[in-house]
Amino acid sequence: MKGSSSDGTPEPELGLSLSTVGAYSVISVTGEIDMYTAPKLREAVRQLSAEGRMRVAIDLTPTEFCDSTGLGVLIGARRRLTDAGGALVVVCANPRIRKLLDLTGLDKVLDVREAVPSE
Amino acid sequence: MNASKHDHRAEPVTVRFAFTPAAAYVRAARLVAADVASHAGVATGLLDEVRQAVGEACTRAILRHRDSEIDDLVRIEFSIGDRFVAKITDNARDMRAQTRDRLAPSTRRGDARPSDHDTLEEETLSEEITLIVLGGLVEDLVVTGPDSEKGTTVSMSWPLPGGAQSGEH
Repeated sequence: MKGSSSDGTPEPELGLSLSTVGAYSVISVTGEIDMYTAPKLREAVRQLSAEGRMRVAIDLTPTEFCDSTGLGVLIGARRRLTDAGGALVVVCANPRIRKLLDLTGLDKVLDVREAVPSE
Repeated sequence: MNASKHDHRAEPVTVRFAFTPAAAYVRAARLVAADVASHAGVATGLLDEVRQAVGEACTRAILRHRDSEIDDLVRIEFSIGDRFVAKITDNARDMRAQTRDRLAPSTRRGDARPSDHDTLEEETLSEEITLIVLGGLVEDLVVTGPDSEKGTTVSMSWPLPGGAQSGEH
């Protein structure tokens, strides 16, 4: 899902693929989550909740890069989903992003797991 | 002292650029940072840290410019001396130290801060998280400013092989 600008140079793209595992709608994220691409992830979560799919897992295991904007989206998504009676699970077996979650203390705020809950 | 063995570093090599405070350019800035750091000899294991930290500092600078509703360029400077030093400077002055004389909304660019409440909240969070990430990530981090004349500068440095160790706290 790589895009390109009008002059043909590749643009950084956030790849989002949707699947369902048990009760969870899973958004698997490839590419880089930053200030430029984060709105796309935010919108994907909103779209799911608008469809009434309130149990969402965001899989960051295949994600190449995530910055604080991405973390802001995770916090916002958690709040919106839990407020609506749903839940957010962050799936992350990626050491770089785990480190980011650890050093911000978000590993204690977010439900971070190695895999999507199967039940 | 190792200095005599590294006379080629006597005059720091400098890479300097500036960019319009738009989200689309943060990636370019962090890729340049990692590339310049790699070229300077920063250990491979630290390059991800450089990339992340410079990206965070640039994101913070853009958010600060958006908050102040200014389109001034965000400035970046890398210097290679005893250590690899990255400085990211915004131009968002301390608004409390001056009149709240803001630019009219019509002068703002398309990349202006979104009005959506949730998005605003996330961006406010992100701005705070950038500093938490930087503080956790970078051993040698100094943030100066803002005052009524200037914005803030985030200065960070990483060791170089054969460089002075005094900069490491």
